[in-house]
Amino acid sequence: MSGPVGKATPYIDGVQKATGQAMYTDDFRYPNMLYVGLLRSSYAHAKIKNIDIKAVEADPAVAAVAIGKDIPVSFGVLPISPDENAMAVDKVRYVGEIVAAVAAESIEAAQKAVQGIKVKYEPIREFLNPADSLETCAPDEQIHDHTKNGKNIHKTAELRFNDPEKEFESADFVRKEKFKFAGVTHAFTEPHSTIAIWNGDETLTVISATQVPHYLHKNLSKVLGLPIHKIQVKKPTLGGGFGGKSDPFAHEMITAYLSMKTKRPVKCTFSREEVFITNHGRHPTDIDMTVSCDKKGNITALDTDVIIDGGAYGSFGVVTSYYNGVLLQGPYKIDKFGFRTRRTYTNKPQCGAMRGHGAVNPRYAVEIVLDMLAHDLKIDPCDLRMKNFLPENTLTVGQLRITSNGVKECLETVRKKSDWDERYNKLPYGHGRGVACGFFISGSALPIIWNRYPQTVVHAKLDFDGRIVMFSGASDIGQGSDTMLVQIAAEELGIPMDFVQVEAADTKTTPVDLGSYSSRVTFMVGNAAKMAVEKVRKEMAKAIAKEKGIAIDSIKFNDGKIFTKDETLDLSWVEGVEIAMAGRGAFVESGFYISPKLGGDFKGSGAGLSPAYSFGAFISEVVVDPETGEVNVEKIWAAHDCGKALNPLAVEGQIEGSIHMGLGQALSEDMRYVKGQIMNANFFDYRIPYSVDTPEMDVTIIESNDGEGPYGAKEAGEGPIHPVLPSIGNAIFDAVGVRMCELPITPDKIFTKIKELK
Amino acid sequence: MDKVELNVNGFSHTVLVDSSETILDTLRNRLYLTGTKKCCDEGTCGSCTVHLDGKPVLGCLTPTMRCVGKKIVTIEGISAGEDLHPVQKHLVKNLGLQCGFCTPGVVMTAVPYLENNPDPSIDEIKNSLSGNLCRCTGYKKINEAIQSAAEEMNS
Amino acid sequence: MGNYYHPSSIKEALRLAANNSGNYMYFSGGTDLQIYRKQGLENSETIIDLNAIEATERILVKNASLQMSAFTFLEEISLSKDIQLHFPLLAQAAKSVATPVIRKTATIGGNILVNNRCTFYNQSKEWRQAVGSCMRDVGDICQVTGGKNKCYSRNVSDTAPALIALNASVVVHNQEGEEEIPLKDLYSPDGIIFHQHLDKDAILKKINIPEKPKTWWFKKLRLRKTLDFTSLTLAAVVDNKDIVRICINGMSMSPILIEESFHSLSIENLLKQARKNCKTVDNDLMPMKYRKEMMNVFLKQWWSTVYSN
Repeated sequence: MSGPVGKATPYIDGVQKATGQAMYTDDFRYPNMLYVGLLRSSYAHAKIKNIDIKAVEADPAVAAVAIGKDIPVSFGVLPISPDENAMAVDKVRYVGEIVAAVAAESIEAAQKAVQGIKVKYEPIREFLNPADSLETCAPDEQIHDHTKNGKNIHKTAELRFNDPEKEFESADFVRKEKFKFAGVTHAFTEPHSTIAIWNGDETLTVISATQVPHYLHKNLSKVLGLPIHKIQVKKPTLGGGFGGKSDPFAHEMITAYLSMKTKRPVKCTFSREEVFITNHGRHPTDIDMTVSCDKKGNITALDTDVIIDGGAYGSFGVVTSYYNGVLLQGPYKIDKFGFRTRRTYTNKPQCGAMRGHGAVNPRYAVEIVLDMLAHDLKIDPCDLRMKNFLPENTLTVGQLRITSNGVKECLETVRKKSDWDERYNKLPYGHGRGVACGFFISGSALPIIWNRYPQTVVHAKLDFDGRIVMFSGASDIGQGSDTMLVQIAAEELGIPMDFVQVEAADTKTTPVDLGSYSSRVTFMVGNAAKMAVEKVRKEMAKAIAKEKGIAIDSIKFNDGKIFTKDETLDLSWVEGVEIAMAGRGAFVESGFYISPKLGGDFKGSGAGLSPAYSFGAFISEVVVDPETGEVNVEKIWAAHDCGKALNPLAVEGQIEGSIHMGLGQALSEDMRYVKGQIMNANFFDYRIPYSVDTPEMDVTIIESNDGEGPYGAKEAGEGPIHPVLPSIGNAIFDAVGVRMCELPITPDKIFTKIKELK
Repeated sequence: MDKVELNVNGFSHTVLVDSSETILDTLRNRLYLTGTKKCCDEGTCGSCTVHLDGKPVLGCLTPTMRCVGKKIVTIEGISAGEDLHPVQKHLVKNLGLQCGFCTPGVVMTAVPYLENNPDPSIDEIKNSLSGNLCRCTGYKKINEAIQSAAEEMNS
Repeated sequence: MGNYYHPSSIKEALRLAANNSGNYMYFSGGTDLQIYRKQGLENSETIIDLNAIEATERILVKNASLQMSAFTFLEEISLSKDIQLHFPLLAQAAKSVATPVIRKTATIGGNILVNNRCTFYNQSKEWRQAVGSCMRDVGDICQVTGGKNKCYSRNVSDTAPALIALNASVVVHNQEGEEEIPLKDLYSPDGIIFHQHLDKDAILKKINIPEKPKTWWFKKLRLRKTLDFTSLTLAAVVDNKDIVRICINGMSMSPILIEESFHSLSIENLLKQARKNCKTVDNDLMPMKYRKEMMNVFLKQWWSTVYSN
């Protein structure tokens, strides 16, 4: 490759961001704009007996008021569980649920006005932990009518192959352990924000901080009853998502509704506390994990029983339920395999998708149990893992198709770079090393909303100015997807990057894309972009070949020039563009990506299917103060197989960011509730690591060159979080000899365990 | 409401402000200088850092009235359309930013820090930024970018 | 909509306070109080910002004693060569507060007088309404203990225990003039009215430390290395007369001082006194049981450093 692909490439919007010129949703302002104030429930579970809005309607600063009954159509990111409403209709299901809204002339007026809305509630029995939700309850106590068997179980996902339970009866070594994980949340820096503009031609424009304009587009149409062709959703610069901006949100429906009602632009921006209340983060989880192996350390069976606390609504929960199980099929070969996940409804803010979706907690559990087995067998934990890796080009027991696989190289790399063999189990008391591996999808092979379209389409437009504009529905959420589009176009056409510009994430101008989640963008959008610009190149070559009377295949595009090796052709890029456009003008070429047909023929076979999988292996070094239980993660060696790093800077950035986020969940982050109410909805008390809390990092990119990925690329955004947590957990064991099975691993928990040991 | 004169990035603005308003809200809502970001609004993230007579302060905790008669510099005043400050240049070059939302605050913290500490170690840089919350980068590339900026400023 | 005043002298500030009797608040740095205003916990109409008061003699070390303006920024204290040399305990305590940029605005006076905290009180208005407000706010029971008699909010100053261990006194300036009082007497073991001697519009003006101690020790328990309010702060000093002063904060409604002769103190007695005097409840994110254990651990750690030599 002679262009920018594979080279460290600063973001195309980097200067905008560094100078404060980048426009995030809340930075936009429109003439005559109104501001939304939201009234939220102070009950966890209660019927709404009455809402009195009279006093507020009379307020001259208030342009419109809305309550649940005004827009009662239900929605949700998964078409199989549309259980949300823009505002609570007959009852509230968590503290903080939106009950009513106003649009007023100023932020202050809006906030003041909503307090004038009076709501009468009749409390219902609250379900605040999953154990209660698993029990049968009275019909009018059910959080949602649609749950079966009179319980508050949202979804049970279960798959079992080759009777793992039977294997446990006769296996040489079996380990069964219970794990408990607190909920954690994305905590992106930019609060949710949305602006709706009702246009003069009776169309609606919504500017929103969303990872998936497409889902918002579809759900707005459903809730508002507005034809889908009349809605435009645009994502401006976005301040972080991590899965937390991938659902369509209630406040987006409300803001759009208020704009339609007032025919004025309306803005809604959340406070930090509201961001926490909105949550959609990783589910609090209880896991029973059982793994067996033979005397040589070959894993023979795995079975796990998982309960996830979904909160009040569905969100991505059905997918989360499956991911808690199916993504344990890698990176180790396990032929006797089973899981059951039950997702419960509770009266708390809903949980959903967060970086490493559904697979982070079970990954922790399995990697800790493998470490225990290694101890039982007196085998080095790296050796045990090396014995059990899946090969390349194979099928797992649940028929996930594994293609490229660099996991061995990942583990060998960190083992060597960290000098593992000289350090593991050899450091003084209080110092320890731990290892763990990871495995994740590179995009889901099946769409959430079934359709016959490709998963993404990219348009590449060439015009007289020589500029290529890439039109893509993909959302750059800070991961650098816009930069990737430019790199690919510049690579394929042999032109400098400044000839390429991007129009992205606008449902009016860009072809539909399923959004930035499930680590799909590089693989799917990258492939589609490559196809689109390849077509542009072919069209240009065809026209030039015809005009110059030379063979198409002899024409090269490189260094801003179009030429043949024998120098009979030597055009500048702009001269080439002129020839290509002669007689036809500006043109657009389209590329797309469709996943190959994958998977088995059984119920639940679609979960976890991906055209490619990423792999990784991390080693952590920790220091534990045995007197206080305080942990300091000193250094993490990370190796991640992303297939091919299209932009090594961005891939490193994803791995380093994953280390930070994984560290937070491992040691300090914890969504705490009292009476169903989040008690740490701020950055004082929801304890995200700062610079001084984050360890030294040694990052290696492993390139297994996937056969189907663009230039061989796979994902890097989510896979690298998986090994972080268990490598820390295992290092703590190496340091002080205690097994930490409850996250976050706060000092008090370690202190108690060390005391028990003595 | 009080009518006050505020000097922002060298220009004088006459604005009506509320007595308990913070300079963050005044900058964003009244002067439409939106480069200063509102992330936590309670002093925990550093995204709203601006300079008051050369000293970095948190916009969300600073009363606007306190800024009267002082020189306020925002991210827009660091390199408004001109050459980037070395801190900005290296944040861009080294990918010390991803989503970019915390970046203005990082710049506004690092610039005066380097003016007073021209040759910091990575650990000192980490300490100086220990009030800036970044959720994307894991801080590594930010720290390295600031060290590169220091080297450039010293050469 | 309220008033904002920016007096340039203590005298002027006191006059403004008198004019706005009962409905004003002083800002020193204001970094903590701003949040109380945003959460509707402080609703005074008038802000008297002391930030413009020209403080002379900010840090003055003379004959191994220290005089310091209460308006000195925490950063100045942590960076002062004089303080680092003679009173490293104070430098370290100041550096353990909040974040570097906050320490450039927050003052030592503000940290000494920082409001007591509780997980149920330091919340937004909507939050407090939903959970049922506490007795320190508008309710009549304690959400932590369920009791009706006492509020157990914690004093979370990190510099106060250091200064109390250093036997500091403070000068307060009120409508009647200046008064010097021992710092420890500024606190009252009450979760709601946690300061005393601050009536008559008093402004904390100066801090005096009489002498450089023989040995010192400081440790703050927190989950992260920055920002966090303390879960337990312990400052200890042995002075030149062999008096031991150990001050524990974050565990009770006020800083807890244990003062004994170096020669008569036993570790058993020390642990007992600490246990007896700290009224610790579960009002921090770190569990009460653990904080109590850590208090013992810290005390024993200090003990072993002092009594092993």
